Amino acid sequence: MPSDSEHRPFIENISAYALGTLDAEESSVLEAHLQTCASCRDELAAYRQISGGLLMAIPPKAPPESLRQRLRQHLPSAQKSNHPRRTWSFNQLALGFAVVVLLALNLFSLFQMQSYQYQQAKLTREIQTSQIALAMLAYPGTQSLAINAPSVSGALLLDKDRSIAVLIVWNLPQLKNSQTYQAWLVNPQGERTSAAIFDPDPDLPFTSVSITSTSELSVFSSLGVTVEPAGGSKQPTGQRIFRIDF
Amino acid sequence: MAEPDDKELIQQVAGGNERAFLALYDRYAAQVHALTLHILSDPMLAEEATQDTFLKLWSRARLYSAERGPVLVWLLTITRRTALDRLRLEARRPTLSTADDPDDFWRVIPDSKTTSEESRWRTLYLAVQSLTPDYRQVIELAYYQGLSQSEIAEELGWPLGTVKTRMRSAMEQLRRVWGNP
Repeated sequence: MPSDSEHRPFIENISAYALGTLDAEESSVLEAHLQTCASCRDELAAYRQISGGLLMAIPPKAPPESLRQRLRQHLPSAQKSNHPRRTWSFNQLALGFAVVVLLALNLFSLFQMQSYQYQQAKLTREIQTSQIALAMLAYPGTQSLAINAPSVSGALLLDKDRSIAVLIVWNLPQLKNSQTYQAWLVNPQGERTSAAIFDPDPDLPFTSVSITSTSELSVFSSLGVTVEPAGGSKQPTGQRIFRIDF
Repeated sequence: MAEPDDKELIQQVAGGNERAFLALYDRYAAQVHALTLHILSDPMLAEEATQDTFLKLWSRARLYSAERGPVLVWLLTITRRTALDRLRLEARRPTLSTADDPDDFWRVIPDSKTTSEESRWRTLYLAVQSLTPDYRQVIELAYYQGLSQSEIAEELGWPLGTVKTRMRSAMEQLRRVWGNP
């Protein structure tokens, strides 16, 4: 065990060491001594009681209330709830609403435009058909073949040499949306070739339809009209409305 | 139902229990903040250091073990280190704190109604206040400003030996007054 005189330089430094204020070189020397000296370790423990006590010997002073709230915002639950949520200002909401309204108006305008284009195309076709019909009526070689059916009337204007024909039908009933009328050219062997798909105009009492064919009409022996599913069929499948023999 | 003690709470904090964390905050925020304010002498810096201390408590709770002593001592050790780091970061010259403004309760000498723990800290506070200005100054600069003995000598313009003598005498006096428990 070291004598008092040997202990003295170490003991003098223990209180400063307990406060953590001893210079680095002296700290190293003291730490080496503490490894072998139990009485100095006891002395250090006593002074550490004081340095530890000094941490708590300050009169308590509460921090501002806002600090607790700020700390809560750093906790994981607040971070989770903050991330996915997005707040929208009134201006952003108003802008979004305006964009939606403009988009709806544009779509409506586009729909209207397509509807007008469709009606215009249909009107153009009807005018062309009527012009063809008028021209054919004035042509010397045109045949007018009457429709012989109980519920409808009309005629087929036919020029076999020119492969042109116009079908004019009065009082043709309106069909369901899932149905359409289809005209067929029939040759002497009984084979059917699609010649037109059409629907009656609800605003007119008659329907005029151009009949077209890649072959001369003279190769055919008759024309028939059937009811088919909307869009037409490759071969007749539905009820026949009438037939006109050439 | 009895409230959980500090060690139960710190274990719950280590498991990510935010309610336990806030319970420890409510229990010790005043002591942590008092220490940061004493060291930094600036309310705004002290508030930031208090916040940093509790965020360290949240992230380091799993490192606590009973061998480190009471939870409060461990927390205040983190507090002192955090505040001293901030002091160096701010490159502020050491100041003798004037931030203490203890209420009358803290100034009164503890009596038999005071709890033993509270009584001990208030007695030590009074013991520090009763030191002569020179003694108190070296304790303040060493412990609450983080200066080495050489830095204190330079700061106060005293010989190093005088600093050592006064520091040793101050600590011996505190030991005599406050004593070993």
